[in-house]
Amino acid sequence: MNNVLSSRVLFGTCSFCRCFLRRRRASPHVTEPRGTTATVSHRDARIDLSRFYASSQTPCSIKLPNNRQMSDKIGGAMNVFDRNMKRKQKQWAASLEDPDKYEYLKNEVGSRVADRVYDIARTFPLALDVGCGRSHIAEHLSKDVVERLFLTDVSESTLKRRRQSDIPVQCILADEEFLPFRENTFDLVMSSLSLHWINDLPGALRQIFHVLKPDGVFIGAMVGGETLYELRCSLQLAEIEREGGFSPHVSPYTAVTDLGNILGQVGFNMLTVDIDDIHIHYPGVFEVMSDLQAMGESNCAWNRKSMLHRDTILATAAIYKEMYGCDDGSVPATFEILFMIGWKPHESQAKPARRGSANISFGDLGKINQSPSMDKPKER
Amino acid sequence: MSGANVWTRSRERMKRLPELFAQCGPEATAYGKCVTATTSSKEELRKDLCIREFEALKTCILSAAKKTVK
Repeated sequence: MNNVLSSRVLFGTCSFCRCFLRRRRASPHVTEPRGTTATVSHRDARIDLSRFYASSQTPCSIKLPNNRQMSDKIGGAMNVFDRNMKRKQKQWAASLEDPDKYEYLKNEVGSRVADRVYDIARTFPLALDVGCGRSHIAEHLSKDVVERLFLTDVSESTLKRRRQSDIPVQCILADEEFLPFRENTFDLVMSSLSLHWINDLPGALRQIFHVLKPDGVFIGAMVGGETLYELRCSLQLAEIEREGGFSPHVSPYTAVTDLGNILGQVGFNMLTVDIDDIHIHYPGVFEVMSDLQAMGESNCAWNRKSMLHRDTILATAAIYKEMYGCDDGSVPATFEILFMIGWKPHESQAKPARRGSANISFGDLGKINQSPSMDKPKER
Repeated sequence: MSGANVWTRSRERMKRLPELFAQCGPEATAYGKCVTATTSSKEELRKDLCIREFEALKTCILSAAKKTVK
């Protein structure tokens, strides 16, 4: 990571322009640069460089300060994924002749998100779909539930080749981590299968919280937990046996418990998080990997290995089939989809009862069977 | 990347791999069993622990490829 840092400092103008653009979007908090200590993370380098220029006019050949305090302010966000690469992968996936053939998972999850939207008995005048891909949710919604819809994605080709729907739609090219909308704009924000490529998940959820109106709802679906554990384990064993060590090929996922915590920290109310396990059967590991690639879900983590040897692929196929194969010769791939619903606080929402307002004691709980007319204790 | 280059050629070769793999069922199972045995036994998986089974699998794949070469 150090050599990346030095290259950004050396090739002067280019890195300055790029960082200046980023600075306009991040909240400007100009402080004095401190002395360097240990290595600077990649993300810190980008944002630090912008603040450095904001505070002084010195040329960029000066050693970059490591500003630990600033990284705490941002929330210690990680830089795991190469967003530029992800955009390129999505452009490529959208440019295939028949992208519909490979997007069965996204269609299914999109329909389940739309189900959850229908569960809420409201009409949403303005809705936003973050990281919409080829728009898999909108086709299941109707005009009496969502009146106007905004679609955002990082990749232009996916927006151009989106699926048609009845709802009037507006497409905006935007990154999920930098939403270009004003506060309190949307009644409904949806997101289906794109949050797992975000570097700073709390930050992105904070932005979603920001653009929601009070009493607005966020319904999201992301891949998490034990997704593709079969692929991960087979690749790991094959690489150890063939090459002597292993490197991560499947990106890291959020656990259910962490998701609930993050949503709570951001400020969402009345959270609902549930898991859906989807098992898809493939003829072999080659089909698993090529389908994932065609969906635009190839790995784009910075620490990914750029090569997968033929021997390792062969070994993975054999191990996958032996460890997880089914009787009919197919192999399963698990997708654990985490669905989350969160509301922006509003006075009309139910709150926990006031302390001391109980009129029934927990001690009477044992008597519930005896007198069915007794109410449940109201105190939480 | 468009046109005929090393990536398109190797991609074509990779596309044949599933059908060749299907013809080498027993060798693949033997190799798979050798590796998965280490997950339950005390022996740690190291490099080339199952090299004999893997070489058998690889020769099977190569001979299948030679047989079906266009």
